[in-house]
Amino acid sequence: MIAVCLKWVQPHGASDDRFAGISAADQSALELTLRTAEARGDEVVAITAGPIGAERALRDALACGAARAVRIDTEAGTSSSSIASALAREVATADIVWCGDYSVDRGTGSVPAFLAARLGVDQALGLIDVEINGNGSQIRAIRRLDGGRREILSVNGRAVLSVEGSTARLRRAALRSVIAADSASIEVRPSEFGGVAEPELVPYRPRARVLPAPAGQSALDRVRMLTDAGGTPSRTETVVLDPPAAARRILDTLREWGYLT
Amino acid sequence: MSPVPDLIAVVPVRDGQLPAGGLEAISEARGLALVVGTDCVSAAEAARGIARRVFTVEITDVSPAALGRASAEGIKQAASGRSVIVPASPDGRDLAPHLALALGYPLHSGATEIRSNAVYLARQGGLGIAQVRVEGAFIATLQPGIRGVDPVPPVELQVTPLEVTIDSVGHSVVSVEVRPPDASTIDLAEAPRIIGGGAGLVDADRFELLANIAATLDASMGVTRVITDRGWATHERQIGTTGVVVDPRLYIAFGISGAVQHTSGLGQPDHIISVNTDPHCPMMQMADLAIVADANQVLDALASEVALTPVSGS
Amino acid sequence: MSRFDADVIVVGAGPAGSCAALALARAGKNVILVERGPFAGSKNMYGGVVYPRILDELIPHWWETAPVQRWVVRRSTMILSDENAFTIDYRTPSWGEPPYNGATAYRPDFDHWLSQQAVAAGATLVTSTTVTGLLRDPAGRVNGVRTDRPDGDLSAPVVIACDGVNSFLAKEAGLYTATDASNFTVGVKETLSLPRSVIEERFGVRDNHGVDIEILGGTSGVNGGGFIYTNLDTVSLGVVLKLPKLTAQSKRPEEIIAGLKAHPAIAPLVEGATVQEYSAHVIPEAGLSMMPTMVTDGMLVAGDAAALCLAAGIWLEGVNFAMASGMYAGRAAAAALEKGDVSAKGLSGYTDLLENSFVLRDHRKLKNIPGLVLSDRVQSKYPGFVTSVIERVFRVDNPNPKPGLRRIVREERKRAGIGLLDLVRDGWKGMRGFG
Ligand SMILES: Cc1cc2nc3c(=O)[nH]c(=O)nc-3n(C[C@H](O)[C@H](O)[C@H](O)COP(=O)(O)OP(=O)(O)OC[C@H]3O[C@@H](n4cnc5c(N)ncnc54)[C@H](O)[C@@H]3O)c2cc1C
Ligand SMILES: Cc1cc2nc3c(=O)[nH]c(=O)nc-3n(C[C@H](O)[C@H](O)[C@H](O)COP(=O)(O)OP(=O)(O)OC[C@H]3O[C@@H](n4cnc5c(N)ncnc54)[C@H](O)[C@@H]3O)c2cc1C
Ligand SMILES: Nc1ncnc2c1ncn2[C@@H]1O[C@H](COP(=O)(O)O)[C@@H](O)[C@H]1O
Repeated sequence: MIAVCLKWVQPHGASDDRFAGISAADQSALELTLRTAEARGDEVVAITAGPIGAERALRDALACGAARAVRIDTEAGTSSSSIASALAREVATADIVWCGDYSVDRGTGSVPAFLAARLGVDQALGLIDVEINGNGSQIRAIRRLDGGRREILSVNGRAVLSVEGSTARLRRAALRSVIAADSASIEVRPSEFGGVAEPELVPYRPRARVLPAPAGQSALDRVRMLTDAGGTPSRTETVVLDPPAAARRILDTLREWGYLT
Repeated sequence: MSPVPDLIAVVPVRDGQLPAGGLEAISEARGLALVVGTDCVSAAEAARGIARRVFTVEITDVSPAALGRASAEGIKQAASGRSVIVPASPDGRDLAPHLALALGYPLHSGATEIRSNAVYLARQGGLGIAQVRVEGAFIATLQPGIRGVDPVPPVELQVTPLEVTIDSVGHSVVSVEVRPPDASTIDLAEAPRIIGGGAGLVDADRFELLANIAATLDASMGVTRVITDRGWATHERQIGTTGVVVDPRLYIAFGISGAVQHTSGLGQPDHIISVNTDPHCPMMQMADLAIVADANQVLDALASEVALTPVSGS
Repeated sequence: MSRFDADVIVVGAGPAGSCAALALARAGKNVILVERGPFAGSKNMYGGVVYPRILDELIPHWWETAPVQRWVVRRSTMILSDENAFTIDYRTPSWGEPPYNGATAYRPDFDHWLSQQAVAAGATLVTSTTVTGLLRDPAGRVNGVRTDRPDGDLSAPVVIACDGVNSFLAKEAGLYTATDASNFTVGVKETLSLPRSVIEERFGVRDNHGVDIEILGGTSGVNGGGFIYTNLDTVSLGVVLKLPKLTAQSKRPEEIIAGLKAHPAIAPLVEGATVQEYSAHVIPEAGLSMMPTMVTDGMLVAGDAAALCLAAGIWLEGVNFAMASGMYAGRAAAAALEKGDVSAKGLSGYTDLLENSFVLRDHRKLKNIPGLVLSDRVQSKYPGFVTSVIERVFRVDNPNPKPGLRRIVREERKRAGIGLLDLVRDGWKGMRGFG
């Protein structure tokens, strides 16, 4: 069995479920799940931990070709490690578990790693390119490292894989499947994990002094580089302009700053 | 900043190379660190001037699970009871959940700041910050590029190797090779001028235009992850913590909200211009010149302007 | 079930489509409602008021669940000349309580709610799916639709086209005789944000009560009219413009809206508001004269798709006509299926239902109004004429005595260059038309 974990997310500030959905990353994960299963002649199980609204995502997955869909009825505010434990129970026998790299709201990317730890299988996370061989036994993937480096990974065995949104475009479900999925049955499991009230969000405001991750030779150069990274203190000037005026203003400012002559 | 709880930084290293945000994590932990991985000694040396005390755990199996178990062992030996901070680099994020489970600590991911009784976490695609109260030991991952480092006298560095053995197991995921940044990334990483485009730009063609305009102003084009997710630009163009970390003198942002994961990869430009319909978003707050306008139309206008005004880079 | 995928396929989950699906589901029919948007109403726009009385037949106590912004307790008709205004204003508290009369509502809310009523009744709603054509049996009878999805054909004995203005389904079925642009008006609307309390002060309403203002004149010389509706914390302001004139005068709709917002009588109402949304849409407005054949073998047309939108100066109603025609189409289809005759003849019950209801009666009654209201004379001469008459009636010009109304009218009529006969004729048309 090949499993995919889909997270139902309401966009920030959205009033209700109409605008909710799964992330681009989860859509890629679903597509890759279907491809892996097709290559192996295996079946796909789609799993979500979330409210009843999340069943829409599962129905889409069924319409796209998933054989089974499971919803774990977790409360809002359930911790990532608890979510992972709940998911782990459902995917215990899965050969491959596909996830998105980050959920849009919590966005910590920790569920997949927790999941791997719980299942005691290897992980390959934050993949940006995935090749599945003919019979699906081998997966070759490229993963981001910092500083623009890339790690080439080869997957041949049970694992949890998480992908970014651009790795695969989700196929369009056939009409009849969409209609069938509308009345298909979804397995619902209770959750024994309690949720904690999600903390208040305050808008992110960058700190006055943002320092780059240093990249000098010895720490000493780095220290020097960091300490004399003066830069003009931000004195924001906000102007409302029509497009042509805005364009001219940009060019004038660039001249003023000496970037253009 | 109020006194932080007793922290130790756990920093995963590959062949002695510190990950992004490694030094910042060490600073956040006031110079106390546990370095785990391969060639830890050179890594510790590379932290001289920022670290005071470094424990090293040298292991051959660098799978996240193994790193997790090994560093947990190390913590128990050298810093039992301390809260742990891990850089939110790709390797750090891989490791943190394993370490959290091994230590039985709660994990707080994507911290922008850690205070005595609370951690501040980036949420909602980095546009919101959640304040989470903490009591007892915890583990947090720290967003690289936000904090910066506090230098300490280089002489102070004290390195202590720890003896940790973990039974190694077979692996289904194998690292075949690590590729250096490819050229097109370098050009962005080192570009003195960058013009960035975000979700405020409505379609793929906008980014061709953006690239052309960038070329005319001899700048490189960067984008946000929303754009790479849409496949409108390649990953080499993505600026931010999971993309390319850049450090330009000039940054011009079109339709970019300025989420922390983006801005923390921005370095510290001398000059920032932001064009956005929302005057209150972080990118506009950061900008020296914040222009409230439709970025798409401004691009068109700019295109015709640069066409007629002959511009040469200074 | 038979060789068909469903008893009926309804195309378009606007007010017409959802009501058709609701009526059919209630009649125990297996109905599939196909909508191109991600959810019903996601992309739909209109001015902002709906008069849902007809829903009493489908959803008793609809007002308890319908997502409305404000209940209309005040209707005004404004006649604007260059800078003067003459307003007829009616208000009644009774419209502010059950069973209510009209309400302002956002289409993404209202249409979604309506579609969910159909789903609750048993209809199958398929979203993010665009119908791209009709399927026909060898005899040429419509028996299904093609969609843009893989394996996307759906078959059913009856198809109800509720795909809105310019219905390409109705056209593909050959139900429209050549439609020319003069039959269309374009509607342009701005949604303006204002604090709730400010709206309530400026428009003199409280709680969830609101205002419906229709405007004659004020459209910078382009034949048409305007409207202002109050939502909870936004105001919908728009103009409805005759297409040919618009193109002839090569004015941009934005400019005309800006002009209206700047009018001394309007400016104070919307001052300081920020534009939250700008949208435009075509309206079928010539009423009866351009209505298509509503029925053919295996297919019915309802709502805007059938040009059943009433845009007659002080009336701009389409949603209620759409809901009603959709409901009747659903009922007629159900009846035809019972009889086992879905030919044009078998489905003709639909036209009877329309004829005997307000849908076509209102259209017949008001058939001359759009022409009259949008005629050059009414558009370019009457607003100035009316306002200057009123101005002189109320102006106190002592020591001179007040002039008699007859004299004023005569003089102003001459000044405005309106022939007595024309005035009488138009007046008579109006009386008959509205009467
Ligand atoms: C763990 C993690 C790692 C991440 N790593 C990265 C990373 O490395 N790099 C990165 O960039 N992102 C990263 N992200 C995503 C990041 O959180 C934000 O979602 C992303 O940066 C937002 O991109 P954006 O500003 O283009 O889109 P949005 O946040 O949607 O902002 C769009 C902006 O455009 C403005 N706008 C809309 N219309 C117009 C118009 N017509 N004219 C002008 N302006 C307009 C809006 O006001 C808004 O400010 C990461 C997220 C997570 C959770
Ligand atoms: C500017 C303006 C102001 C107006 N003001 C008012 C007002 O204040 N009050 C009022 O009552 N009426 C008003 N109207 C008229 C009213 O909007 C329409 O009469 C009404 O929406 C008609 O409903 P309908 O269901 O027939 O069509 P629509 O509401 O247009 O619904 C058509 C549906 O079909 C879907 N669709 C179209 N083609 C396809 C396809 N090929 N496949 C699948 N789905 C498809 C569309 O997505 C849409 O959901 C106004 C109209 C305009 C333009
Ligand atoms: N509640 C959930 N239900 C199912 N999958 C989830 C859930 N939360 C996270 N995931 C999976 O884990 C990925 C990363 O999420 P996160 O760790 O929250 O950033 C998501 O893209 C999903 O694939």
